Amino acid sequence: MIRARDLSKRYPGGTVGLDGVSLDVGAGEFVALIGSSGAGKSTLLRCLNGLVTPTAGAVSIDGLPVTGASREGLRSVRASVGFVFQQFNLQRRLSVLDNVLVGTLSRVDPWRSLLGRFSGGEIERAHRTLRRVGLAGLEGRRADTLSGGQQQRVAIARALAQEPRVLLADEPMSSLDPASSRSVMELLRDINREDGLTVIASLHVLDLALGYGQRIVGLRAGRVVHDGPPAGLTQAAAEAIFGGERL
Amino acid sequence: MSPARRWAGALAIAAAFIWSAWSTEVSLGRLVEGVPFMVDFLGRMLPPDLRVLGQALRGALQTLQIAIVGTGVGAVLALPVAFAAARNTSPRWTFYWTRSALNAFRAVDTLVYALFFVAAVGLGPFPGVLAVVVYTATVLAKLYSEAIEAMDPGPVEAVEAVGATRFQVLRWGVVPQLLPQFLSFTLYRFETNIRAAAVLGFVGAGGIGFYIQTYLRLLNYPAASTVLLVLVAMVMLVDFGSSRLRARLV
Repeated sequence: MIRARDLSKRYPGGTVGLDGVSLDVGAGEFVALIGSSGAGKSTLLRCLNGLVTPTAGAVSIDGLPVTGASREGLRSVRASVGFVFQQFNLQRRLSVLDNVLVGTLSRVDPWRSLLGRFSGGEIERAHRTLRRVGLAGLEGRRADTLSGGQQQRVAIARALAQEPRVLLADEPMSSLDPASSRSVMELLRDINREDGLTVIASLHVLDLALGYGQRIVGLRAGRVVHDGPPAGLTQAAAEAIFGGERL
Repeated sequence: MSPARRWAGALAIAAAFIWSAWSTEVSLGRLVEGVPFMVDFLGRMLPPDLRVLGQALRGALQTLQIAIVGTGVGAVLALPVAFAAARNTSPRWTFYWTRSALNAFRAVDTLVYALFFVAAVGLGPFPGVLAVVVYTATVLAKLYSEAIEAMDPGPVEAVEAVGATRFQVLRWGVVPQLLPQFLSFTLYRFETNIRAAAVLGFVGAGGIGFYIQTYLRLLNYPAASTVLLVLVAMVMLVDFGSSRLRARLV
């Protein structure tokens, strides 16, 4: 359902983000994207929902083009793709509920949403996703009063409120402590298993990737250097991805 | 920095200070000699002449009104200019020229603008309002633009990523970050504008300053002290209310 072909990204200044990446991900897969920092994980994920425009190559999701799409086309693809950021990217001063309601924006009447008037159905959906991530009861709290782990759950609830078919997570745990990291990973896995969402998560911790991913894709210097089930990730393969520095 | 250069720098600052103090005829002796006159002056201001209280209150109210209209219109004008003056929302040359123009306008104080507008539209509170508008617009545009530059792009990107329209991104990604800061800057500027508007009457641009100046010129110190007390009370009241409002915005 996700199709990336020969993606390359060269940033102004010459930094190479991606160097000819092709990737196919089927519906319902849980892919762990691993690699050192600077290997291109973020760039790849951002190309998948159009936050970054590749220098060459193309992405499509469910047959709809992301690369080269019109503004309108890009919006409708993004509506079905949730994105979870490393730094959560919540509106700190807004309530937890308002942050989750942001996820429904592509579906609501644009003019009503500008006034902040969401329908009962959308508010109910926001409550439901907050229950789903285990934050029922915190709806009225200001986002920045929550712990890091809770804030990332709010961000996941925001993505779920889109009712997406794909969830992209860019280092979702690297700002969290180990315990919160595991619970966020378990949440992503449950969402994948129970709700059938396709999940691609970039991770810099190898054991989390091995513990939760069904498929491991290793990036190094903007190229895919490994692609297979966790069992196939041998010592040699890991060294090829991380260059031996981490093991 | 080498020790020698550091010493040279310290010496230069000390020299500039001494030279300036000498040029401005700073004299502790003259200050001490002046003390009895100050005491005499303050004595003559007491007790305040409360017969001018009505006048003073009317003047204070007009000063408040000048500050309200001046700050309000200034803030509205500052808004579009601020986006032109922010590095991250404006093309390079627009940014550069807008910032330079703002710096030039800001170099001149409200009172000088008041002189200009009194000459242009005549005496009264209206030139005072215009003076406050011009200065406030340029100061707020600068402050707003700095808030725009310090904006966190993360939450904005997050709203883009859900498939929101451009207006929705503005409403849910940008406004929640900027609005509290803009309101806080505007309230702060309102507090300062009360003080600025209080002296506009010195040049015929309305408000309580007219009475301060008139009674001091007429050597009617008891009346002048009533007006000054009203001014102090108003400034303190506005500062208190406004700073409590600002504390709630953070």
